[in-house]
Amino acid sequence: MIEELKGTEIIIKCLKEENVKNIFGFPGGQLIPLYDRLYDETDIRSILVRHEQGAAHAADGYARASGDPGVCMATSGPGATNLVTGLLNATMDSIPVVAFTAQVPTKAIGTDAFQEADTFGITMPITKHNFLVKSTDMLSWTIKGAFKIANTGRKGAVVIDLPNDVQQKTSKEYYRGEIKFTGYNPNIVPNPLQLKRIAQKLVEAERPLILAGGGVIQANASDDLRTLAEYLGAGVATTLMGKGVIPENHPLSLGMVGMHGRLCANKMINNCDVLLAIGCRFSDRATGWSLESFAPDAIKIHCDIDSSELNKNILVDFPLVGDAKLVIRDLIKFIKKYEDVKKDTNIWGKRVNQLHNMCEECEVVKCKGDSLTPEVIIKEINKFLDDNAIVTTEVGQNQMFAAHYYVTKKPRQFISSGGLGTMGFGFPAAIGAKVAKPEKQVLDIAGDGSFIMVCQELATAMTENIPVVVAILNNSYLGMVRQWQELFWDKRYSKTKLGTIPDFVKLAESFGAYGERVEKVSDIKNSLKNAFDSGVVSVLDFKIESETNILPMVPPGGKIDEMIGVERCRHK
Amino acid sequence: MPTQIISVLVEDEAGSLTRMSGMFSRRGINIHSLTVSPSEKEGMSRMTIVTTGDEREIEKVEKQLNKLIEIVKVNILDKNTSVVRDLCLLKVYADKENRAEVIEIANAFKSNIVDISIRTITLEIAADPRDIDRFVELMKNFGIKELFRTGVTAISRDVEKKSGG
Repeated sequence: MIEELKGTEIIIKCLKEENVKNIFGFPGGQLIPLYDRLYDETDIRSILVRHEQGAAHAADGYARASGDPGVCMATSGPGATNLVTGLLNATMDSIPVVAFTAQVPTKAIGTDAFQEADTFGITMPITKHNFLVKSTDMLSWTIKGAFKIANTGRKGAVVIDLPNDVQQKTSKEYYRGEIKFTGYNPNIVPNPLQLKRIAQKLVEAERPLILAGGGVIQANASDDLRTLAEYLGAGVATTLMGKGVIPENHPLSLGMVGMHGRLCANKMINNCDVLLAIGCRFSDRATGWSLESFAPDAIKIHCDIDSSELNKNILVDFPLVGDAKLVIRDLIKFIKKYEDVKKDTNIWGKRVNQLHNMCEECEVVKCKGDSLTPEVIIKEINKFLDDNAIVTTEVGQNQMFAAHYYVTKKPRQFISSGGLGTMGFGFPAAIGAKVAKPEKQVLDIAGDGSFIMVCQELATAMTENIPVVVAILNNSYLGMVRQWQELFWDKRYSKTKLGTIPDFVKLAESFGAYGERVEKVSDIKNSLKNAFDSGVVSVLDFKIESETNILPMVPPGGKIDEMIGVERCRHK
Repeated sequence: MPTQIISVLVEDEAGSLTRMSGMFSRRGINIHSLTVSPSEKEGMSRMTIVTTGDEREIEKVEKQLNKLIEIVKVNILDKNTSVVRDLCLLKVYADKENRAEVIEIANAFKSNIVDISIRTITLEIAADPRDIDRFVELMKNFGIKELFRTGVTAISRDVEKKSGG
């Protein structure tokens, strides 16, 4: 019990106790009470987006960059429904986001009142959990519980639906301490017996390979993973979400695996004798289309914090539930005990490195004179950005070019929409990342199709002084779908040619942002410098060839190591 | 495909039924029957779900159910060591000519007569669902006017431990 507090006061008190410093949101009728309270707030920065989807993505990007839950809010009805895509995006990639949605007053619920939507029902299947708060007495319990659920176990988005009167009424109820849910005990301590068996298999392995996913980053276990890999001399392939787990210029790094993965990573998956998959979920984009031909000869080990992922897509020999950090640390401990049987890991390690280098070699793209290709642009971006820079991506070819060619040095520095594949994610996510890490360079590798979905957030970035850089790979097409149409649908480019493309430079300038068109390779470096020096949000419009393809790729129905478009690689 | 009975202990919160059934539809799994009732624990309900699937599919269902915050316990009931019951109310056409025959069969199945009209008899039977299936099949011969079944509820038998020697 505390002194009597207004609902909005309780919300702010809880947010401060959860160490929330930034909220991304958009006001509306039923959300006026909470925004009214934020009007006087000095410890929490409230950032006005220009579309609620931007708020959800920004909170998501904030969480990915910082490791802390991102917070967004929207009004009832359309405000809440506009958050939906962003919330599912976060849940699919296991990112902790807490969303506050306003609701019509409790008495009006169910009357089809103005701007009423069944937010509780709509968001139930797209979040990790959701709440409809029916009494101000339950506010503190709900908010603290929501943060706990969002940020423990396998993380995800949580929605708190706040009727107008619940925000405004007063209560003396205030829960202190940890909120407990009878049915929620995320089992994160790995089983020692199973760990021991796994350690033994890893020690006995001749060609060990680690496949690391976003779970390793979420568990802040990247350093431990690198230690384990070095100890075993194991190659490390990552999923899209795992990019940055190991510096991609590390001798044991093989890069991204999957449909658009690197050939060497895919080949190694099917050549290793023990596959240790940690914090990944064997998504169809990572495994290719034929599950039977994914690492067919390897002893498969799968460690994940979510037991429902084990044996879901791929049947494994050794499943283990546990937090990635605990799993990896314990594995190192057990493996060290086997010192007497430890073999020379150098031979395999050297082979991994050799493959890594061969892959690198075949990726040196000969550009046609001074004209721009995505590969060249991203290689220049690699050179320009420092080791702490954060790169976000949109979805499509731009994303796969970035995943393929951008060399990520550290975890939480490559931010991309994996599971849901949401176009328009990268720019607002970059805004969120820059708010979380204002000292870092933040760059969104975008496509013209994706950027135009969220370009209104230029106003957000200008008003709130969030200087991120958007590099548009502008091919005037929805490139990835066009590529599929070219390769598998007889070049029938149905609605993928975008027609009128805005002048992105003028568009940027109309917001007061910096804009520059880039047409020559020799200008890339300077344009990046101009953008980062401008001090405001910037748009670089890279004019690339309209029909470029991102290759190699695993064609529909194909096996993971049978990629098309590898002709230019000398080793196959 | 084998039938499976899943017994779930769930917190009595608004929306917990939707959350549970939503998981089934989202994962493309059919619910055959579903019963919800209070349990021995205050604030908790028990749901008995009948579905079909092989061992691996049911394992997936069990894990997905366990992930839901409001679900406290999930049990896959072994049909060999469980008591399984279904309640059926059915109205059968029965006039002077065949009333005696209907009552005879009802008695054989330990079914109670709960109502009689000139043209119909209403019967009640609580039994293992397979027995009810057979009973209903027989009654079809007379013509069934209406049929209601509650869906399965089930409880596991306590296995007596042998005293150690």
